[in-house]
Amino acid sequence: MENLGNALAFGLGAIGPAFGLAIVGSKTIESMARQPEMAGRLQTTMFIALGMIEAIALLGFVLAFVL
Amino acid sequence: MEEMPTKIEHLLHELTVLPLSGGHGAEAAGFSLTNYTFWLIVAVVLLLTFFIVASRKVKLVPSGIGNLAEAGVDFVRNGVCVDVMGPEGKKYFPFLGTIFFFVLFNNLLGNIPPALPGTGTVGTTFTWAIIVFLVYNGIGIKKIGFFGYIKSLIPSGTPWWLSWLIFLIELISHFLRPFTLGIRLFANMYAGHIMLGVFTIFAAIFIEQFSAISIAVVPLSFLMQVILRVFELMVAVLQAYIFTILTAVYIDGALHAGSH
Repeated sequence: MENLGNALAFGLGAIGPAFGLAIVGSKTIESMARQPEMAGRLQTTMFIALGMIEAIALLGFVLAFVL
Repeated sequence: MEEMPTKIEHLLHELTVLPLSGGHGAEAAGFSLTNYTFWLIVAVVLLLTFFIVASRKVKLVPSGIGNLAEAGVDFVRNGVCVDVMGPEGKKYFPFLGTIFFFVLFNNLLGNIPPALPGTGTVGTTFTWAIIVFLVYNGIGIKKIGFFGYIKSLIPSGTPWWLSWLIFLIELISHFLRPFTLGIRLFANMYAGHIMLGVFTIFAAIFIEQFSAISIAVVPLSFLMQVILRVFELMVAVLQAYIFTILTAVYIDGALHAGSH
């Protein structure tokens, strides 16, 4: 039961960030297709956003270990 | 098959932080050499030898190992520092370059089977995160003074009755920064390593106790090994990049603290 709780803590916590990552990725590809000359700057900004969203998902991972 | 969970647990235990000098538990792990710190030292030695060899013969047109080192340095200097902070970012290249190559070498070394990623422990990543926190706040305070820096947390033009709330939110977000920075790197490296470990253990156990299921499980485990290994190599480079670029963003924010 405890293991199930830990798995749920990570699994449910990853749903929100997954949607966030999907939005960031798709919008970046869209912007790159529209303005290929901005690709470098867009990529940098995308990685910053990715890093920030990822942290939320990983908080669930760490909580699953700690709890 | 009943003993499988205990066997998996026993094998996974080898991926946790274990002191090399005997003893077990928290009291022994205090300041002793652990398996993770051992590989951290190996990575640092490799990093030093790589750059000493690369910089021994500096030529106008580099070749071989010098070329590789120059490409990496150029990437951090122009791809991270100048891209995020503008021309003044070159001043912070030594700090950001140190972080990038330290994290990169540790992450990559973790992908060679007996080795463990030195960045896969909370101690290493949080130490770097706290250093980053102190450095970027120090840069901000040095630029516009302590009270100016505190005041810059509230954007100008905020109504007075809202400013205390904004200040509180900004303060919390600043203190969350080193926390997320440390957690991100640690969790990525540790989780990746555990994931690889689990598939290896699966393959080993199912070969050891050969049965009909093994014919399906073993090739799948090997295939996942290959796919995940490639993925982990990508993650290793990406995490070093993200750690560095977020540091650059924080320093950039501190540099322009008063002006927006």
